Amino acid sequence: MLGYVAIGVPCGILSASIGLDALQAFLLSALFYSGAGQFMIPNMWIAGAPLASIIASVSLVNTRQMLYSAAFAPACRGVRKRLAFLFAATVTDESYGVNVAKFSEGGWSVGRATAVNLLSQSSWALSNVAGVLVGNAVGVPLAIASFAMTSIFICLLVTQKPSAANLVAAVTAVLGVVACKAAGLSGPAILVGALAGVAAALAFSWAGRRG
Amino acid sequence: MGSMAWGDFLVALVCCGATMLLCRVVPLFALKGRNLPEGVERALGFIPPAAFAALVANDLLSPGMFDAGLWPAAAPLVAAGVVALVAWRTKSLLWCAVSGVAAYALLTLL
Repeated sequence: MLGYVAIGVPCGILSASIGLDALQAFLLSALFYSGAGQFMIPNMWIAGAPLASIIASVSLVNTRQMLYSAAFAPACRGVRKRLAFLFAATVTDESYGVNVAKFSEGGWSVGRATAVNLLSQSSWALSNVAGVLVGNAVGVPLAIASFAMTSIFICLLVTQKPSAANLVAAVTAVLGVVACKAAGLSGPAILVGALAGVAAALAFSWAGRRG
Repeated sequence: MGSMAWGDFLVALVCCGATMLLCRVVPLFALKGRNLPEGVERALGFIPPAAFAALVANDLLSPGMFDAGLWPAAAPLVAAGVVALVAWRTKSLLWCAVSGVAAYALLTLL
Protein backbone atom coordinates (compact mmCIF):
# COMPACT_ATOMS: atom_id res chain seq x y z
CA MET A 1 0.00 0.00 0.00
CA LEU A 2 2.84 2.41 0.86
CA GLY A 3 4.20 1.96 -2.63
CA TYR A 4 1.00 3.41 -4.09
CA VAL A 5 1.26 6.48 -1.85
CA ALA A 6 4.92 7.11 -2.74
CA ILE A 7 4.07 7.03 -6.44
CA GLY A 8 0.55 8.46 -6.24
CA VAL A 9 1.54 11.75 -4.62
CA PRO A 10 4.14 12.70 -7.30
CA CYS A 11 1.64 11.53 -9.93
CA GLY A 12 -0.97 13.90 -8.49
CA ILE A 13 1.57 16.75 -8.41
CA LEU A 14 2.34 16.16 -12.07
CA SER A 15 -1.39 15.99 -12.94
CA ALA A 16 -1.93 19.32 -11.18
CA SER A 17 0.83 20.86 -13.31
CA ILE A 18 -1.25 20.42 -16.48
CA GLY A 19 -4.26 21.96 -14.78
CA LEU A 20 -6.13 18.81 -13.75
CA ASP A 21 -8.11 19.24 -10.53
CA ALA A 22 -8.71 16.80 -7.68
CA LEU A 23 -11.90 15.43 -9.30
CA GLN A 24 -10.13 14.75 -12.59
CA ALA A 25 -7.23 13.03 -10.84
CA PHE A 26 -9.75 10.93 -8.91
CA LEU A 27 -11.64 9.98 -12.10
CA LEU A 28 -8.41 8.94 -13.83
CA SER A 29 -7.32 6.89 -10.83
CA ALA A 30 -10.72 5.22 -10.43
CA LEU A 31 -11.59 4.55 -14.09
CA PHE A 32 -8.22 4.26 -15.83
CA TYR A 33 -6.09 3.19 -12.84
CA SER A 34 -2.63 2.97 -14.32
CA GLY A 35 0.51 4.35 -12.70
CA ALA A 36 2.56 4.33 -15.87
CA GLY A 37 -0.31 5.72 -17.95
CA GLN A 38 -1.22 8.47 -15.50
CA PHE A 39 2.40 9.65 -15.46
CA MET A 40 2.66 9.44 -19.24
CA ILE A 41 -0.37 11.64 -19.93
CA PRO A 42 0.89 14.80 -18.13
CA ASN A 43 4.49 14.16 -19.14
CA MET A 44 3.72 13.86 -22.86
CA TRP A 45 1.26 16.76 -22.64
CA ILE A 46 4.00 18.98 -21.15
CA ALA A 47 6.35 17.82 -23.92
CA GLY A 48 3.78 19.11 -26.41
CA ALA A 49 2.69 15.75 -27.85
CA PRO A 50 -0.66 15.78 -29.70
CA LEU A 51 -3.59 14.10 -27.92
CA ALA A 52 -3.81 11.27 -30.50
CA SER A 53 -0.14 10.43 -29.99
CA ILE A 54 -0.60 10.40 -26.21
CA ILE A 55 -3.57 8.02 -26.47
CA ALA A 56 -1.76 5.72 -28.92
CA SER A 57 1.37 5.53 -26.72
CA VAL A 58 -0.60 5.00 -23.52
CA SER A 59 -2.74 2.31 -25.19
CA LEU A 60 0.34 0.49 -26.43
CA VAL A 61 1.75 0.47 -22.91
CA ASN A 62 -1.69 -0.74 -21.68
CA THR A 63 -1.40 -3.92 -23.76
CA ARG A 64 1.04 -5.38 -21.22
CA GLN A 65 -2.07 -5.96 -19.08
CA MET A 66 -3.26 -8.61 -21.57
CA LEU A 67 -0.47 -10.87 -20.35
CA TYR A 68 -1.53 -10.46 -16.74
CA SER A 69 -5.15 -11.04 -17.64
CA ALA A 70 -4.33 -14.21 -19.56
CA ALA A 71 -2.21 -15.42 -16.64
CA PHE A 72 -5.18 -15.19 -14.24
CA ALA A 73 -7.66 -16.97 -16.53
CA PRO A 74 -7.14 -20.42 -14.98
CA ALA A 75 -7.62 -19.08 -11.44
CA CYS A 76 -10.94 -17.49 -12.42
CA ARG A 77 -12.51 -20.70 -13.79
CA GLY A 78 -15.82 -21.31 -12.04
CA VAL A 79 -15.83 -17.87 -10.40
CA ARG A 80 -18.97 -15.70 -10.70
CA LYS A 81 -18.79 -13.47 -13.78
CA ARG A 82 -19.29 -10.23 -11.90
CA LEU A 83 -16.50 -10.99 -9.44
CA ALA A 84 -14.16 -12.17 -12.20
CA PHE A 85 -14.84 -8.92 -14.08
CA LEU A 86 -14.16 -6.75 -11.04
CA PHE A 87 -10.98 -8.69 -10.32
CA ALA A 88 -9.75 -8.49 -13.93
CA ALA A 89 -10.50 -4.77 -14.18
CA THR A 90 -8.39 -3.90 -11.14
CA VAL A 91 -5.16 -5.81 -11.86
CA THR A 92 -1.98 -3.69 -11.94
CA ASP A 93 1.76 -4.26 -12.35
CA GLU A 94 2.25 -4.35 -8.60
CA SER A 95 -0.83 -6.27 -7.45
CA TYR A 96 -0.25 -8.80 -10.27
CA GLY A 97 3.04 -9.81 -8.64
CA VAL A 98 1.47 -10.06 -5.20
CA ASN A 99 -1.53 -12.12 -6.34
CA VAL A 100 0.46 -14.47 -8.58
CA ALA A 101 2.64 -15.35 -5.60
CA LYS A 102 -0.42 -15.87 -3.35
CA PHE A 103 -2.26 -18.03 -5.91
CA SER A 104 0.78 -20.25 -6.41
CA GLU A 105 1.10 -20.72 -2.64
CA GLY A 106 -2.50 -21.96 -2.65
CA GLY A 107 -5.32 -21.15 -0.21
CA TRP A 108 -5.94 -17.86 -2.01
CA SER A 109 -9.29 -16.93 -3.57
CA VAL A 110 -10.37 -14.55 -6.30
CA GLY A 111 -12.49 -12.77 -3.69
CA ARG A 112 -9.49 -12.04 -1.49
CA ALA A 113 -7.36 -11.11 -4.51
CA THR A 114 -10.07 -8.63 -5.53
CA ALA A 115 -10.02 -7.15 -2.02
CA VAL A 116 -6.25 -6.59 -2.36
CA ASN A 117 -6.84 -4.93 -5.74
CA LEU A 118 -9.58 -2.62 -4.44
CA LEU A 119 -7.53 -1.61 -1.40
CA SER A 120 -4.60 -0.78 -3.68
CA GLN A 121 -6.88 1.20 -5.97
CA SER A 122 -8.30 3.22 -3.06
CA SER A 123 -4.86 4.17 -1.76
CA TRP A 124 -3.81 5.03 -5.31
CA ALA A 125 -6.84 7.30 -5.87
CA LEU A 126 -6.53 9.02 -2.49
CA SER A 127 -2.79 9.68 -2.86
CA ASN A 128 -3.37 11.10 -6.35
CA VAL A 129 -5.95 13.51 -4.94
CA ALA A 130 -3.53 14.40 -2.13
CA GLY A 131 -0.83 14.99 -4.76
CA VAL A 132 -3.05 17.42 -6.68
CA LEU A 133 -3.71 19.38 -3.47
CA VAL A 134 0.01 19.41 -2.60
CA GLY A 135 0.90 20.41 -6.16
CA ASN A 136 -1.51 23.33 -6.05
CA ALA A 137 -0.32 24.45 -2.60
CA VAL A 138 3.46 24.34 -2.98
CA GLY A 139 5.70 24.63 -6.02
CA VAL A 140 7.44 21.26 -6.16
CA PRO A 141 9.94 21.40 -9.03
CA LEU A 142 8.32 19.37 -11.81
CA ALA A 143 11.59 17.82 -12.93
CA ILE A 144 11.92 16.23 -9.49
CA ALA A 145 8.30 14.96 -9.35
CA SER A 146 8.56 13.52 -12.84
CA PHE A 147 11.78 11.72 -11.95
CA ALA A 148 9.63 9.54 -9.68
CA MET A 149 8.09 8.21 -12.88
CA THR A 150 11.45 7.75 -14.59
CA SER A 151 12.57 5.79 -11.52
CA ILE A 152 9.54 3.52 -11.73
CA PHE A 153 10.09 2.86 -15.42
CA ILE A 154 13.74 2.03 -14.67
CA CYS A 155 12.59 -0.38 -11.95
CA LEU A 156 10.06 -2.05 -14.28
CA LEU A 157 12.74 -2.30 -16.99
CA VAL A 158 15.45 -3.72 -14.71
CA THR A 159 13.07 -6.35 -13.29
CA GLN A 160 12.28 -7.79 -16.76
CA LYS A 161 13.63 -11.25 -17.46
CA PRO A 162 17.25 -10.73 -18.64
CA SER A 163 16.98 -12.81 -21.84
CA ALA A 164 18.86 -12.02 -25.04
CA ALA A 165 15.62 -11.26 -26.92
CA ASN A 166 14.46 -8.86 -24.20
CA LEU A 167 17.82 -7.13 -24.41
CA VAL A 168 17.39 -6.76 -28.18
CA ALA A 169 13.91 -5.30 -27.57
CA ALA A 170 15.18 -2.78 -25.02
CA VAL A 171 18.28 -1.66 -26.91
CA THR A 172 16.37 -1.28 -30.19
CA ALA A 173 13.66 0.71 -28.40
CA VAL A 174 16.26 3.09 -26.93
CA LEU A 175 17.92 3.57 -30.34
CA GLY A 176 14.49 4.11 -31.92
CA VAL A 177 13.60 6.83 -29.42
CA VAL A 178 16.94 8.62 -29.88
CA ALA A 179 16.64 8.37 -33.67
CA CYS A 180 13.10 9.80 -33.61
CA LYS A 181 14.18 12.68 -31.39
CA ALA A 182 17.21 13.39 -33.59
CA ALA A 183 14.82 13.57 -36.56
CA GLY A 184 12.67 16.07 -34.67
CA LEU A 185 9.80 13.60 -34.08
CA SER A 186 9.67 13.75 -30.29
CA GLY A 187 5.85 13.28 -30.20
CA PRO A 188 5.66 9.68 -31.49
CA ALA A 189 9.16 8.74 -30.24
CA ILE A 190 7.94 6.41 -27.46
CA LEU A 191 5.45 4.59 -29.70
CA VAL A 192 7.87 4.21 -32.63
CA GLY A 193 10.75 3.16 -30.37
CA ALA A 194 8.67 0.55 -28.54
CA LEU A 195 7.24 -0.93 -31.76
CA ALA A 196 10.73 -1.09 -33.28
CA GLY A 197 11.91 -2.91 -30.14
CA VAL A 198 9.09 -5.50 -30.32
CA ALA A 199 9.68 -6.06 -34.05
CA ALA A 200 13.44 -6.48 -33.58
CA ALA A 201 12.97 -8.93 -30.72
CA LEU A 202 10.44 -10.99 -32.72
CA ALA A 203 12.81 -11.11 -35.70
CA PHE A 204 15.66 -12.04 -33.36
CA SER A 205 13.72 -14.88 -31.75
CA TRP A 206 12.52 -16.25 -35.12
CA ALA A 207 16.04 -16.10 -36.52
CA GLY A 208 17.34 -17.88 -33.42
CA ARG A 209 14.83 -20.70 -33.90
CA ARG A 210 15.69 -21.28 -37.55
CA GLY A 211 19.43 -21.08 -36.97
CA MET B 1 2.98 24.72 -21.69
CA GLY B 2 -0.81 24.89 -21.62
CA SER B 3 -3.18 23.23 -19.25
CA MET B 4 -5.43 20.42 -20.39
CA ALA B 5 -9.06 21.47 -20.92
CA TRP B 6 -12.00 19.27 -19.79
CA GLY B 7 -12.78 18.24 -23.38
CA ASP B 8 -9.27 16.93 -24.03
CA PHE B 9 -9.25 15.39 -20.57
CA LEU B 10 -12.46 13.45 -21.23
CA VAL B 11 -11.20 12.19 -24.60
CA ALA B 12 -7.98 10.99 -22.97
CA LEU B 13 -9.85 9.45 -20.03
CA VAL B 14 -12.40 7.59 -22.17
CA CYS B 15 -9.90 6.35 -24.79
CA CYS B 16 -7.15 5.32 -22.39
CA GLY B 17 -9.69 3.90 -19.93
CA ALA B 18 -11.42 1.87 -22.66
CA THR B 19 -8.26 0.32 -24.11
CA MET B 20 -7.09 -0.42 -20.58
CA LEU B 21 -10.35 -2.11 -19.60
CA LEU B 22 -10.34 -4.21 -22.80
CA CYS B 23 -6.74 -5.30 -22.25
CA ARG B 24 -7.48 -6.20 -18.64
CA VAL B 25 -10.77 -8.04 -19.09
CA VAL B 26 -10.98 -9.59 -22.57
CA PRO B 27 -8.11 -12.13 -22.35
CA LEU B 28 -9.39 -13.46 -19.02
CA PHE B 29 -12.87 -14.10 -20.37
CA ALA B 30 -11.88 -15.13 -23.89
CA LEU B 31 -9.37 -17.77 -22.83
CA LYS B 32 -11.31 -19.57 -20.12
CA GLY B 33 -8.09 -21.26 -19.11
CA ARG B 34 -6.71 -21.95 -22.59
CA ASN B 35 -3.44 -20.35 -23.65
CA LEU B 36 -2.92 -17.47 -26.10
CA PRO B 37 -1.61 -18.38 -29.57
CA GLU B 38 2.14 -18.70 -29.18
CA GLY B 39 3.13 -15.91 -31.60
CA VAL B 40 0.75 -13.45 -29.95
CA GLU B 41 2.01 -14.37 -26.52
CA ARG B 42 5.61 -13.90 -27.63
CA ALA B 43 4.90 -10.47 -29.16
CA LEU B 44 3.04 -9.38 -26.01
CA GLY B 45 5.95 -10.59 -23.92
CA PHE B 46 8.31 -8.24 -25.76
CA ILE B 47 6.14 -5.19 -25.17
CA PRO B 48 7.15 -4.56 -21.53
CA PRO B 49 10.95 -4.49 -22.09
CA ALA B 50 10.56 -2.48 -25.30
CA ALA B 51 7.99 -0.05 -23.89
CA PHE B 52 9.78 0.55 -20.59
CA ALA B 53 13.13 1.01 -22.37
CA ALA B 54 11.50 3.51 -24.74
CA LEU B 55 9.94 5.40 -21.81
CA VAL B 56 13.25 5.53 -19.92
CA ALA B 57 15.17 6.63 -23.02
CA ASN B 58 12.56 9.29 -23.73
CA ASP B 59 13.01 10.72 -20.23
CA LEU B 60 16.81 10.53 -20.09
CA LEU B 61 18.19 11.04 -23.57
CA SER B 62 17.91 13.81 -26.10
CA PRO B 63 20.21 14.85 -28.92
CA GLY B 64 22.43 17.75 -27.91
CA MET B 65 21.93 17.16 -24.19
CA PHE B 66 25.68 17.56 -23.57
CA ASP B 67 26.03 20.70 -25.69
CA ALA B 68 26.14 22.92 -22.60
CA GLY B 69 28.78 20.80 -20.89
CA LEU B 70 28.98 17.41 -19.23
CA TRP B 71 27.86 18.00 -15.68
CA PRO B 72 24.33 19.26 -15.28
CA ALA B 73 23.24 17.07 -18.19
CA ALA B 74 24.76 13.94 -16.68
CA ALA B 75 22.96 14.33 -13.31
CA PRO B 76 19.79 12.45 -14.40
CA LEU B 77 21.94 9.68 -15.86
CA VAL B 78 23.81 9.25 -12.58
CA ALA B 79 20.51 9.27 -10.65
CA ALA B 80 19.18 6.67 -13.11
CA GLY B 81 22.22 4.52 -12.38
CA VAL B 82 21.45 4.72 -8.66
CA VAL B 83 17.83 3.66 -9.32
CA ALA B 84 18.92 0.76 -11.54
CA LEU B 85 21.14 -0.48 -8.71
CA VAL B 86 18.30 -0.16 -6.17
CA ALA B 87 15.90 -1.90 -8.59
CA TRP B 88 18.31 -4.77 -9.09
CA ARG B 89 18.89 -5.20 -5.33
CA THR B 90 15.36 -4.64 -3.98
CA LYS B 91 12.93 -5.09 -6.95
CA SER B 92 10.78 -2.57 -5.07
CA LEU B 93 8.90 0.21 -6.89
CA LEU B 94 8.64 2.14 -3.63
CA TRP B 95 12.39 2.18 -2.95
CA CYS B 96 13.12 3.01 -6.57
CA ALA B 97 10.79 6.02 -6.51
CA VAL B 98 12.16 7.26 -3.18
CA SER B 99 15.84 6.75 -4.02
CA GLY B 100 15.39 8.15 -7.53
CA VAL B 101 13.74 11.37 -6.37
CA ALA B 102 16.29 11.79 -3.54
CA ALA B 103 19.30 11.14 -5.81
CA TYR B 104 17.96 13.43 -8.51
CA ALA B 105 17.18 16.24 -6.06
CA LEU B 106 20.60 15.98 -4.40
CA LEU B 107 22.50 15.87 -7.71
CA THR B 108 20.66 18.81 -9.30
CA LEU B 109 20.96 20.94 -6.16
CA LEU B 110 24.74 20.29 -5.87
